[in-house]
This record gives sequence, C-alpha cells and structure tokens, in this order.
Amino acid sequence: MKILFLAASLLLVSAPAAAETPQQILATYQQQAGSASAARGEKLFFAKVTSAKGEVVSCTTCHTDNPKAVGKTRAHKAIDPLAPVANRERFTDPAKVEKWFKRNCKDVLARECTVQEKADFVAYMISVK
Amino acid sequence: MGITFKNLFILLTTLVSSGFWLGYSWGSGSDANFPPVSHELTAEECGSCHMAFPAGLLPARSWQEMMKTLNQHFGEDASLSPEETAAITRYLVENAADNPRANILMRRIASGIPGNTAPQRFTETRHFGYLHDEVPASIWKRGKIGSKANCIACHTRGESGSFTEREIKIPKD
Repeated sequence: MKILFLAASLLLVSAPAAAETPQQILATYQQQAGSASAARGEKLFFAKVTSAKGEVVSCTTCHTDNPKAVGKTRAHKAIDPLAPVANRERFTDPAKVEKWFKRNCKDVLARECTVQEKADFVAYMISVK
Repeated sequence: MGITFKNLFILLTTLVSSGFWLGYSWGSGSDANFPPVSHELTAEECGSCHMAFPAGLLPARSWQEMMKTLNQHFGEDASLSPEETAAITRYLVENAADNPRANILMRRIASGIPGNTAPQRFTETRHFGYLHDEVPASIWKRGKIGSKANCIACHTRGESGSFTEREIKIPKD
C-alpha cells in the first residue's frame, strides 16, 4: 500500500511539465520587461510585415484575425485558438511559449521578439474575452 | 488417377494457403501501409504544423539533411534543441524508406530516388508522382486539400498509416 502511494505520488510529480497559468507566464514576462500592455499586444498581433520575398505576413496569416478562432498552418493543419478563454492549454507551458515565440517571431518579423513584445502579446491574449 | 487422400490433401492445402495469401494481401492491406510515427517526441514536434509524416516516406539521407536545416524548414523556422534534433533524427533514420526492415512500398520509394539526391518533399518523389498522376491540379487546389502535404484530406485513415485506395475520399470543395 505504501509503495503504491509512493508510486502514485511520483507519477503526479513527474507527469505535468511545469504547468503554469497564463497569468503566471504573463507575470514572468512583465517582470522582465517592466510593463505589459494589451493594447500594444493587439497592435503587434495585427501588424502587417512585408517579408524579404515580398509576401505580406502577420500573426493573423495563420491565426486568423480572431484570437478565439481555430487557425490554419501553411500545410493546412488546424491551429488551436490563441486566446486562453477559447483554449485552456494556451500559455500554460513556459517552454512551449518560448519555442513558438522564437519560431513565429522569426517567421513573421524576421527576428526574435523582445521580452516587451512577449509581455504585451500575452497580455492581449489574456484580455480577449 | 482417382481421388486419393494424398491428392485431396494437396488440393486442400493449396486452397487454404492461397486463401490465406489472398486474405493477407487484399484484406489487411498491410503492404499498402506506411507505419505512423511511433516515437512520441517525433510525433509531437513534426505533427505541430502538418501531419507527422511516416519516416518510411523518405530515405535516411533526406531526413538527415532536413534535420540539419530545421531553421529554414520550407520557409519557416522549425528549429529544435540539439538534444531533440538528435533524438528525432535517430528515429527517422532508423525507420526511413531505405532502412533494412522497410516494407515493399517504402523500398519502392527509396529505389525511385537517385542515390546522389536527398529530396526534401516526398511529394516530389517518383513513386508519389506515379501513385497520384491521375489527380488533376484543380483537385489539389480545393480548399479542404490546399497542399500535397495534406494527406489526410483524402486518405481518411492516413493518420493510422493506411493509404489504401478504397479509403480515399476526395473532398468536393
């Protein structure tokens, strides 16, 4: 019985990889950046950028202009909504959040995002009701 | 020559075993299958933006090249940590179209690729072209398909590694 308990608690500890709430993830970025603005985040989300190839891209190219909607990758796979109100998994794994900021900021802006931009972006997504 | 037990036995064994053989090659369709990705990290990482393509669709040299250029993956940044890259590369190479345990379909793909090339899109391999040559451009452009990489738009059981002809359902729009 004791061993079972021990095994169960070990499983509980090892299963979810550092799960956080979107508010905790925002707090971390906000602390590093000094501030977070949902309004600036909204601007970033809708900002249109012309790529080196002359293509006009934006976060909305794949995520649609509604953060609560299901988006579509260029390979036509569904992307779950960005707004936590529509997707409880969103902004709960810091490593995942970093991975996708790194990739997608490079894809859209051709550079990595600043901590300020990340704080603003997460603040905007949390503000979507 | 009358019907002896020996003749009867040979006849029955032949019938039964050919039945097995037909059942095997028609019924299970196992030789039409590309085993789906069975490595969790590979399934998760390769499956975020597109279907996690079976490793058996490309030869080892193609996967090695692809995993070295993930920061420029068909125009997008798909970079991973060095540890993740190594683990995924190992899985893809071990299960590639030219691995020693490859099934007949994988071997057909591998043998259609010139040895001095490492194609990055399996949709550009000769065998893929041969199997899809009756699909006109207008069908590929339909909204629910959109991309040749979108296997599961038509191959209804593609995600379980099955691509047999009778499972194909082409979207009308």
